[in-house]
Amino acid sequence: MIEIAPGPRHSRLVVAATDDIPLVWFQFAFATGSASDPADREGLSYHAAVLARRGAGARDRLALDGELDALGASLGVAIDRDAIRYSGLCLARNLDRVFELATDVLIRPRFDAVEHGRLVRESQMTLDELRDDDHQLAARFFNRHCVPSHPYARTIMGTERSLATLEIDQARARQRDLLDPAKLVVGFAGAIEPERARAMTESLVGQLPETKPETKPETEPDIAPGGAGQFQCPALDGYSQPAGRRVVVVDKPERAQSQILLGHLGPRYGTREALAMIAIETAFGGTFTARLMQEIRVKRGWSYDAGCTLQRSRGPHWFRIHLAPAAEVTPDALALTWSLYGDLAEHGLSADELAFARTYLTGSLPFRLATARQKVRAAIQNQLFDLPSDYLERVPQELAALTLDETNHIARTKLWPDDSLAVVVATADTMVPRLEALGYEHLTVLPYDRD
Amino acid sequence: MPDMRCTLDAEHALGKRPIRRYVWPNGLRLLLFRDPTAPIFSYQTWFRVGSRNERPGRTGMAHFFEHLMFGETETLGPGQLDRMIEETGGDNNAATWTDWTFYRTSLPARDLELAVRIESERMQRLVLEDGQIESEREVVINERLERVEDDVDGFLDERLFELAFSEHPYHWPTIGWMDDIRALAKADIHDFYRTFYAPNRATLVVVGDLDEAEVLALVDRYYGDIPAAAAPEESFRPEPPQRQERVARYTKPVHAERMLVGYKAPPQRHPDWPILEFIAALLCGGPSARLYRRLVVDTEMATSADAATMPFSDPSLFRVGVSLARGQHAEAALGELDDLIAALIRDPVSEAELSKIKNCVETDFWAALEDCDGRAEALGHYESTLGDFRQLFVIAERLAAVTADDIQRVASTYLVPTQRTVVIAEPEELGS
Repeated sequence: MIEIAPGPRHSRLVVAATDDIPLVWFQFAFATGSASDPADREGLSYHAAVLARRGAGARDRLALDGELDALGASLGVAIDRDAIRYSGLCLARNLDRVFELATDVLIRPRFDAVEHGRLVRESQMTLDELRDDDHQLAARFFNRHCVPSHPYARTIMGTERSLATLEIDQARARQRDLLDPAKLVVGFAGAIEPERARAMTESLVGQLPETKPETKPETEPDIAPGGAGQFQCPALDGYSQPAGRRVVVVDKPERAQSQILLGHLGPRYGTREALAMIAIETAFGGTFTARLMQEIRVKRGWSYDAGCTLQRSRGPHWFRIHLAPAAEVTPDALALTWSLYGDLAEHGLSADELAFARTYLTGSLPFRLATARQKVRAAIQNQLFDLPSDYLERVPQELAALTLDETNHIARTKLWPDDSLAVVVATADTMVPRLEALGYEHLTVLPYDRD
Repeated sequence: MPDMRCTLDAEHALGKRPIRRYVWPNGLRLLLFRDPTAPIFSYQTWFRVGSRNERPGRTGMAHFFEHLMFGETETLGPGQLDRMIEETGGDNNAATWTDWTFYRTSLPARDLELAVRIESERMQRLVLEDGQIESEREVVINERLERVEDDVDGFLDERLFELAFSEHPYHWPTIGWMDDIRALAKADIHDFYRTFYAPNRATLVVVGDLDEAEVLALVDRYYGDIPAAAAPEESFRPEPPQRQERVARYTKPVHAERMLVGYKAPPQRHPDWPILEFIAALLCGGPSARLYRRLVVDTEMATSADAATMPFSDPSLFRVGVSLARGQHAEAALGELDDLIAALIRDPVSEAELSKIKNCVETDFWAALEDCDGRAEALGHYESTLGDFRQLFVIAERLAAVTADDIQRVASTYLVPTQRTVVIAEPEELGS
């Protein structure tokens, strides 16, 4: 059983109690993420949230890590484009103390100068590791170049250049801005009674500072220290997909295989259009028997994986196809994928494919909501995206009402194979001439270690 | 259970409910744990066959089957198996390692018979013709390109085991050498299937919202008549003792050095295995752990550090992985590791630190058992690797009983430089 209720001071509370195992998982989630970073301060939300975890209240980083470990607990921080989440996991017997420490991290971070410098250096090294991973590398370049002016084009962790300019006062201001109860969703899952979860939430929210009654309009954020409400969620609608078929080759030495991402801006998750796109995603590239997997992997053995995803986000986000063919078949695989995608946009799904997508998506729901933690995570996401509390549970009904005509109208109007970006991580000197021979007009080569 | 051919063989409680093991005359085992928290179940078939059952020149065979088993059977056409699963909203997958291969199907509770039918079907009636074999061969080649050739971590892991083992099958990677994948022959594939895909090599692990009597009746009906296969001979020689440190360096297109260190370690059934796992947690089990703290926080030599004892049925490795920071060198990190191991041998670990690790281990134990798939995987691994799912709880008890003396003794026995292998990937411009 899951309980979703208003919390104190416009916060929200989600609880799913079970005595199955003696663990409690909890999360503080805030409806603001890296998309709210100022354009010249990429990585600020990430930096502030992680730095807060490195010493809080009376404890420096060593003491805080030591006490959490001694309790057998973990306290992690996750930042994405739309949200910042602090998540704790601990033995039920240690919950009170772990929750106190997590509250300190959120409300009383030390923002130690030594840790600030250390985190900047660590993030720069993490960028190195990202460049060593071709799939992450492809995603980073795709995000950057798909719709360059979009807030989702900004990196979560920042760039070498932006990291070098981050200042500790900016991080402090970012964290202070976060502490708005109206942006907060608190979730608990596991061996905890709802009454206790409510009392703990009241204690947490009671310690949050008073927020200003008015917030600034959605303009370029002011990153000067002090005051709440400076890091507004940016406008996420109204961005245009650049025209034409563009190819970006991310040039990396010695590639035996090419990571390919192909796509464009898609509709906002939770809308009718997105629902149809998810049905299209399922039939085109969401399962093993979907068209892409059959054509690319089963028939030709060209790639271990091939599929597509509509990114579930607060604003319109990418609809993206992925595959990883061997270098020698990369041009053929890219051409076939683009052709299959064009056919999908023009003709849409068949009646059988739509029926299959409905059945699959409806049947898979219990697996996505099987554990207490899954239920709470899903409910928190609905809250963060301003969706109904039972959005996922409503999906089967919504899918049942989705007609083939409506689905294929959305395919024709929301799939843009002729205005897409393909990012190909490959060794350029051998790959580019072969791609040029296919006639791609807008082909750019970028070094893989470019910021 | 009238007319049922199985016998209840073992039982152990997990929380408030029992895990039960049933055995059939043809050697098939079934582990059953009823979990009514969600209207779903996990149905896993664990075959006691992995890369340790392969021979030189035929490496990658066990993993190749992980792919072939999703193909055609005598009663299911191409793609039909996957389609039937997907039409319920469920999903399926598989994994192969050194000692086992397992097939996982997750379905709504109402579809139990579908799982039993499909899994029993592909255990005995898989179609292995040229078309299926060649199509999957290309897929496996691409999988290897992605996970080894173009992935520095996969590449380095392969080099570590290749160098650490000379005789034992742990020498080769589970995915197999590329040349072997290209050459696996149809006749060998058929032999492998007949030898290892048989009820006496399999354990079914079923966890979920199910009726026990119904599970037993269906398993009996679909599997009870499948004949056992002759037990294969194990033809490999045991690994000779390692008496000298082995080191290898490779240049790769990476920004910073990466290092793997493997110390020869006992098999998972050995009483010292949990103590080594405890040491792994002391070194890298959390942000305050000794090696993590030293390399990542205090000296900033590395961006990450991890340690684990391989959970294998034969003697294997205690493995330490370090990703160096830009401009830092693996030798220096190795020196820090040596320093910390020397301290473990020299100075007894405090009660507070012992207690810390025991709490962390307890949390990890329960976290791994949070959902149906996790529970089934834990039970399947211990049943397949150690012969008894109850070893899951035995090892947890041993971890909870580790002492400072244990740590000193085990560290001084296993974590010595002459018994280790070190492999390092370095940026191309630094390569020799």
